[in-house]
This record gives sequence, structure tokens and C-alpha cells, in this order.
Amino acid sequence: MGTKILTVEDDERIRQAVTLALEEEGWDVVEAATGERALETFTASPADVVLIDIMLPGIDGFEVCRSIRRTSDVPIIMVTARSDTHDVVAGLEAGADDYLTKPFAPKELSARIRAMLRRVRAHEPGTLERTKIGELEISPEEGMVLRNGEELHLTKTEFKLLVELASQPGKVFSREVLLERVWGYDYFGDGRLVDVHIRRLRTKVEADPASPRYVVTSRGLGYKLQP
Amino acid sequence: MGRQRWWRGLRARVTVAYAIGSLLLSFTVAGATFALARAQLLQAAESQHREQAYSNARSLRENVQSALEEANPDRSQIDINTFLTNLSRFNGSQQALLLDDGRWYSPFTIKDQLQGYPQLVDGTRRWTVADMRIDVTGTVNYAVGIRLDSINATYFEVRSLADLESTLGSLRAILVGVATLASGAGAAFGYYSARRALTPLSRISTAAGAIADGDFSMKLDLEDDRDLALLGSAFNNMVDAVSQRIERERQFTSDVSHELRSPLMTLTASVEVLERRKDSLPDVAQQAIELLSHDLDRFQRLVQDLLEISRMEAGAVQLQISQFLLIEFLENVMTQSRNPGLLMNFSPGDPDLVLSADKRRLAQVMTNLIENAEKYGGGATSISYEVVEDDVQIVVEDHGPGVPAEERDRIFERFARMGGVAGNRSTDAGFGLGLSLVGEHVRLHGGQVWVTDRIDGQHGARFVIQLPLGPDRELHEEMAS
Repeated sequence: MGTKILTVEDDERIRQAVTLALEEEGWDVVEAATGERALETFTASPADVVLIDIMLPGIDGFEVCRSIRRTSDVPIIMVTARSDTHDVVAGLEAGADDYLTKPFAPKELSARIRAMLRRVRAHEPGTLERTKIGELEISPEEGMVLRNGEELHLTKTEFKLLVELASQPGKVFSREVLLERVWGYDYFGDGRLVDVHIRRLRTKVEADPASPRYVVTSRGLGYKLQP
Repeated sequence: MGRQRWWRGLRARVTVAYAIGSLLLSFTVAGATFALARAQLLQAAESQHREQAYSNARSLRENVQSALEEANPDRSQIDINTFLTNLSRFNGSQQALLLDDGRWYSPFTIKDQLQGYPQLVDGTRRWTVADMRIDVTGTVNYAVGIRLDSINATYFEVRSLADLESTLGSLRAILVGVATLASGAGAAFGYYSARRALTPLSRISTAAGAIADGDFSMKLDLEDDRDLALLGSAFNNMVDAVSQRIERERQFTSDVSHELRSPLMTLTASVEVLERRKDSLPDVAQQAIELLSHDLDRFQRLVQDLLEISRMEAGAVQLQISQFLLIEFLENVMTQSRNPGLLMNFSPGDPDLVLSADKRRLAQVMTNLIENAEKYGGGATSISYEVVEDDVQIVVEDHGPGVPAEERDRIFERFARMGGVAGNRSTDAGFGLGLSLVGEHVRLHGGQVWVTDRIDGQHGARFVIQLPLGPDRELHEEMAS
């Protein structure tokens, strides 16, 4: 049984073509034409990655995103009409891990999916086995973060981001570096991916997300994990 | 415009017309006034003189009879002259008496002059009373002759009209002065009213200029002028109609580009499948797929550019400003550029220079310039940057034929097409979108872009992007959103 991808797209021809191309790349594809149908399908048999077009009749992509996020940390990639709108930020805030703009090449989508599914592992074995920073306890092998002994529910991307920052506590990571290591983007990736995920990460790991204790912004330069 | 003579201007023509009109009018009125006044004054004076002459004649007839009957002619001469002198004393007139036998009696020189006017003498004989204006040593005089049958003589009285003439002279001078003033005032009024009438025109031209610059919010307010309010509303309606039409065109471009994305998505995905299976297809099909794939890529970029431009036209572009090291940025741009085998001489300036800009848009600017150099200049030969006052100048040079001076502004214009010359920078595959996007992006960043010849004496084009550094970054961020 291969990796299962749920594609939510209302345009039938696009859906067919994307499915065809993704199957060629070796993924198992499940289709849904509406948001309602997507949620039913996902509840019945959860996919490993969800691809959602933001513009859907009925309940829109944002809502589908939020509904899935309530129960699952599955990687979500959304498809937007353009990259410079508020849609991107809104989609990321609704819980998407990454986004693509239409028309995209399925090859690119596959690359994104692979980046999402890549297991978190220490770059140099041994450096990040089990880290404790203040109240936070990060266990990369188990994919688990504890605060005061309580497990926090992070998405895969949030977890990867935290692990990356924790690999060198106190070191400032630029957006470009984080984009490359967490998302697999080159220098020209969208810095908003980092910013929104940092915000989301803070709501989970910080006692007061408005004045973060751990995930700290280094003005103009990037982010660091305060030891 | 500059070649037009001043007197062909509307204002000058109206002024001259008013001046001539008021000149004619005021001098006609003045002339008529003068003629009328003169006639009336003369008539009044003459009738007064005539009455005086009658009364003098009556008194003469009664008093001179005895003198005439005197036997001694010398004696009578003296008596009559004395009497005539007495008559003259009151009003400065001159008198003469002509007897039917041809003898003249007069203490004045007037009798000599009267002899030069036989028509007066004859007229008096025939009509009992006659009068006329005569010329006495250059001045106008009024002469009246009265027939005195009882003494078989004719009485003449001549009176100077010099006083009246001097009054009339003053009147004439005043009238000429007034008429001249009126003409001047007419000209001034013409100038003023022409200017006033033309003021709305200058407002119209200001409005038209603003509209030509793309400001369709410009409204022409001529409501305060009833005659021009119609023109104003017609003008505004025209502006509305034009801007609506442009808006429709924009919307159309935007809609078309958006609509194109769905089939493009299907095509991209399907062609990708074909490409994966290319090896199992016959040669001809493989070639066809290569063509298809290549042009699909081009088509996709074109649609993206069109979308970008329609967004810009709608003012919907939001810059995502971030801070980054310029040297790192340019190195990444060069690594990513399509032809990494190309030799590019990178001469970085200050390695710590931080730029605040929309990284991805600036990357598109650089990519477009590098691709442009590849298409028309045999590839970019060097990329460099340097700080010039508060700006940074990023320079891309090539070794091609350069850009002719007259095309240097136009190649950054939207959809610019230079005379349809094949292989021209702005035509060809890019549809002129590449460089126009460069221009738009740079302008959105508050910068400028221009092209010159290379300054090192080699042939080739030198594209310069100038972007502001420094503290007014927030301003541009605001502008973009």
C-alpha cells in the first residue's frame, strides 16, 4: 500500500489530469470534487497528504483545512490562484503546511509531497536525540514534544521546524535556511511560510505566544530557539 | 505649438476684435455727437445773430433815413458810420450798408469782404433776407443781409463764430479723448473677457493632461458656469466612458488570464504524463511532445506575466518586503538563471549590503534582464552593483548590438513593439512583457530602470536598476499595499 493522496478539486478535467500525473509518479490518489465530499472521504479513510484547491463550491478550502486540522496533523498542501494575496496567509493560518499556485507542474507537487513526508531525522546522528530546553522536551525519534511532561500536538511541519531550531539552540536561522531545511525550498521560497508556521508553533509551545520565551524573532535576520 | 504666432492665439484675436469694434463704435458715436452738437450750436448762434440783425436793421432804418436825406454825402457818411459803430459796440459785430446806387457805408473792413460774396448781396435783393457763412481772414463768420426797401438799401451784419468754433474745438478734443479711452477700455475688456472665457479651457487642458497620465478620478468642475456646465458634464461623461472601457479591457485581460489557467493546469499535468512515457512512443510523437512541452512552458510564462500585469493595472500587487543580503541574492539569481554555463563576470560591491525589497519580484526582474541579454545581446557578460548616494545600482551588461537611443524609453513600456523589426528586444517571444514587467516591478519598489550603451567603450547594452536603500522603505511598503 503506497502513500495515499487526497486531491480536492472541483474542475473535473484538472482533477483527472492531476490524478493521472500523480499516479504516474507512483502515488495512490483519491479524488473529491467538493469540500463536503473531501471531509467524508477523509473521515472514512485518512490520506497521507491532502491537496486542496482553495476555490471550492460549497464549503471552501479554508474550511476544509480547518476541519481536517481539528482531528489530524496530516500534511496539507493548498492550491491558490496567486501567490501575492492574503489567501496564502489565510490558508497557512487555517492549517495548510505549504501552497502551490495554479497552474503548477505535478512534478513540483510530487517534490513538495516528498519534502512533507521526509521523516525528521538529525542531520548528524547523535546531535539531536533528546533535547531539553527549559520546560520543553523534544524527542525527534518518537516525533514528540513535551511541555512540563505534557505532550503537545504539533503538525509534522511544525515539529520539523522546532527540531531544526533546536538543533543549535541560540543560533539564528534565516528564513532562507529554514525554508530549505524544513520545506526543501531554494533561496527564493516564500518567507511567509516560515513566519506563519512560527506563529502557529508559538501558540503551541509558548505559555504566552504574544511575548515568546522560546521561539524568538531576531529582527530582520530570522528566528532562534532561546535556550 | 511653439511655432504658432502670438496673434493667432484666440486671446489676441478677441482682444483685437474688441479694440477695433470699440474704436469704430466710439468714434462713430463721438463723430455723430459732435456733428449734432455743432449743427445745433451753430443754428442757435445764427438765429440769435439773425434776430439781433433784424433789430439792428429796424433801428437803422428809423435812424439813418434823415442822414440819407442830407445833401452833403460826406456828412451822411459820417452819421451812418457813427451809427453803425454804435451798433457794433454791443456784440463785436461788423455792419455795412449798401445803397441801391452802389454806395457802401461801413466803418469796418467788412464791406470789402462782402463784395467778394455777390451771392449774398444778390440773394438779399431777391429774397429780402439772406444769410451765409463767410470766411474772413481764416475764421468763420456769419453774415446776414436784410433788404430795407423804405430806404432803398441793404443792411449787412457780420459776426465772428470764432468763440463757437473754439467751444466746438474743445468738445471735439473731449470727444476724441473719450473715444480713444473707450477703444482702450474695449481692448482691455476684450483681453479680460477672452482670458476669463479661456480659463475653463486651461482647466480642461489640466484635466485632460491628468487623464492622459492615467488619473481617471480627475473630474472637470465647470458647474459654476452655466454656459460651460454642459461641456463639463460631457467631458466627465467621456472620461467615465473611457475609463469604463479601459476597466472592461483590464477585466477582460484578467478574466482571460484566469480562465486560461484551468486548461493550462490540465495541459501541464497531461503533458507531464506524456513526457514520462516518451520513451515508449515513436520518434515522431516524441518530437511532437518536445515541441508541445516547450511551448506549453512558454505559454504558461506568458499567462503568468499577463496575470501579473493585469494585477498591476488593477493596483492589486502587494509587495512582500523582506531584508536580505544583496550579494547572496545575486549569487542565487545567477545560479538559478537558465544558462548556468554562460560566463558571467560578477563584480560584487559591498558584501554586507542589505536590501529591503520583494525578493521574488526582484528575482524576476533580474531573471528577465538576464534572459533579455541572452535573447538579444548574446548573453549577459557582467553583473555588478554599487551604492550611489541613497540608492543601489544593479547593472547587467551584455555584448550585443545595444539598444538604439530612440528605443531606450519605449522598451520598458507595456506591450511596446518597435516598428515590428524581427529579433527586436521588445517583440519576439516575450511579447514585450519581460522588460515592461521589469519596469513595473522596479517602479513599485520606488526605483528606476534605464538602459545605455556600455560605458567601457565596448559594444553592448548596459541595463541599470536603481533601488532606494535606507529609511524610507516603509513608505514603499505602504505604497505597494
